[in-house]
Amino acid sequence: MTNLEIANAHLRSEDVNVWFGERHVLRDVSLTFPVNQVTALIGPSGCGKSTFIRTLNRMHELIPGAGFAGKVFFNDQDIYNPEVDPITVRLKIGMVFQKPNPFPTMSIRENVLSGLKLSGRRGYNADEIVETSLRRASIWNEAKDRLSDPATSLSGGQQQRLCIARSLAMEPDVILMDEPCSALDPGSTRRIEETIVELSESMTIVIVTHNMQQAQRVADQTAFFLAEDGMPGRVVEFGKTEDVFNRPTDPRTNDYVNGHFG
Amino acid sequence: MTTSPIETAALPRPEKSPWQIKNPKQTRALILASVAPAIVVLAITFGFQIDGTIAMLTMFLPLQVLSAGAVGFRIYGKKGIADAGLVIFTIFFSSLVGVLLMSVLYSVITEGFKALSPQFISQNNVYITPTTSLEYGGVGHAVLGTFIIVGITTAVTVPLGIALAVYLTETTSKTKGAVRTLVQAMSGLPSVVAGLFVYAALITSGFSKYAGWLGSLALIPLMLPTVTRVAEEALRLVPVELRNGALALGAPAYRSFLSVTLPAAKSGIITAVLLGIARIIGETAPLLLTVNYANSTVLNPLESMAALPTYIYQNLDSANDTSLQRAWGAALVILIFVAIIFSAARMATRSASVKKKPKKVAKND
Repeated sequence: MTNLEIANAHLRSEDVNVWFGERHVLRDVSLTFPVNQVTALIGPSGCGKSTFIRTLNRMHELIPGAGFAGKVFFNDQDIYNPEVDPITVRLKIGMVFQKPNPFPTMSIRENVLSGLKLSGRRGYNADEIVETSLRRASIWNEAKDRLSDPATSLSGGQQQRLCIARSLAMEPDVILMDEPCSALDPGSTRRIEETIVELSESMTIVIVTHNMQQAQRVADQTAFFLAEDGMPGRVVEFGKTEDVFNRPTDPRTNDYVNGHFG
Repeated sequence: MTTSPIETAALPRPEKSPWQIKNPKQTRALILASVAPAIVVLAITFGFQIDGTIAMLTMFLPLQVLSAGAVGFRIYGKKGIADAGLVIFTIFFSSLVGVLLMSVLYSVITEGFKALSPQFISQNNVYITPTTSLEYGGVGHAVLGTFIIVGITTAVTVPLGIALAVYLTETTSKTKGAVRTLVQAMSGLPSVVAGLFVYAALITSGFSKYAGWLGSLALIPLMLPTVTRVAEEALRLVPVELRNGALALGAPAYRSFLSVTLPAAKSGIITAVLLGIARIIGETAPLLLTVNYANSTVLNPLESMAALPTYIYQNLDSANDTSLQRAWGAALVILIFVAIIFSAARMATRSASVKKKPKKVAKND
């Protein structure tokens, strides 16, 4: 564990445990996500990274059969407190999914504004939000002349950046990204990585990735998840990205980051 | 973009791609194999004065299979025989089904057309006896009655059916399985039972006399399963990623449904409604038991009304040539309505898929 100051923590999980049905899939995950830092979650398939990231904005509970124990603190408030409305949590902690999922019945512009409309917000400057969100997601130049085109007319990489813009329009404090580049070509991947680095100046980012180089390029700190045969997934190593990749303390981390398995 | 020194001008497309070019030898063999058996059978049938149907079944089908098998064997070897056999059987039996359906359609259209005229659509059945000439009287009152009865049923059933579909797709309720089974079981409910139930519960008990709204009531359980199941399928097809996308933006479930799921399933839900209407528009038994007949134009659903199916029944009952013609005419009118409904459903689903296609083209540009 690192000695990052808890006081600086934006988001913090404490002994998060997850079950699907009776199967225990994630055990005692305690991670700290400091303000305006990028945290990469790495590990082989099926180790619970994606499951974990979904617990951070209460999207996890939408999966039928899902179970949960533990605490997730956002600005020192436990988001799993029964008094907390999951909707308000998701307003502050946005999410970008593995597969680009723009709303197909809406135009590019409507997609950017969809979050505001969906959450019933009023009295905003639509044009300004559309432009700043698209700019921050670095897709403004490609989209500005076709804002009223259907969102599905964009390429896969552009759709993913549109989805990022859609989350940004809500001005979240944290963005969770679940393998945002796994369905994209290297060019689009590079642009999204650049976007992540720019965004991390003003927000906290958690990203699940299978790509070691990507973790090294974008993340300030990295957590390595591992599930041994039939056992729930756990965090094996957590620290500064540099340390995890170059001076891992656990031999299994060393094997994984050097491509010996997974 | 950098310009490349390689020639990139577009070339005209060749007239035929390799797979579109036919081998003339094969074509000749295929034509021979399809025409020869027909000629042989025709010659034998006329030569020996055999009944056409018997000749068709005993000679034409086996001959056709044989000749197709022979051609298949010549072109593709052993596996060609099985292939040819399968093709012949498929074509034969699907055309058989086609012919049977077409003959029903044909008789309704030809017979019905004799009765059809502007006055047949607009006039009602007052002062019309079974022997009155076809120049007088019509189904106007029945068309209006059907519209009102089906309209009331639709107005009640569509919200119910969609609500049920939403319950079945969007919630994680534990009683879902039971509800789905019940809805499916309802689709097997004989329509006469639905009519009988309303008759027993509301008419014999003296609560009401025969009335249009009772017919609507009896049609609800018949329409509900169709609407629910088709709407459920439509909602289920909306990818879970879209719902998650909306919820992750902090949308309450109802807004996510109204702004994202429902628009994505729109064409399917329109189809559900139209198929539901087509399901009940021709129902006769429930209306006979609950609405009875009317010869004049009745627009008040608290009274007995006319409807197209009961009008047909009424005219068949009197078994006179002109009233039979009227029955055919009314059948054709129902058929036309159903055809309009189904083409509307087709267009609703098509317009949605057509809209998607240019998008994909644009993406490749």
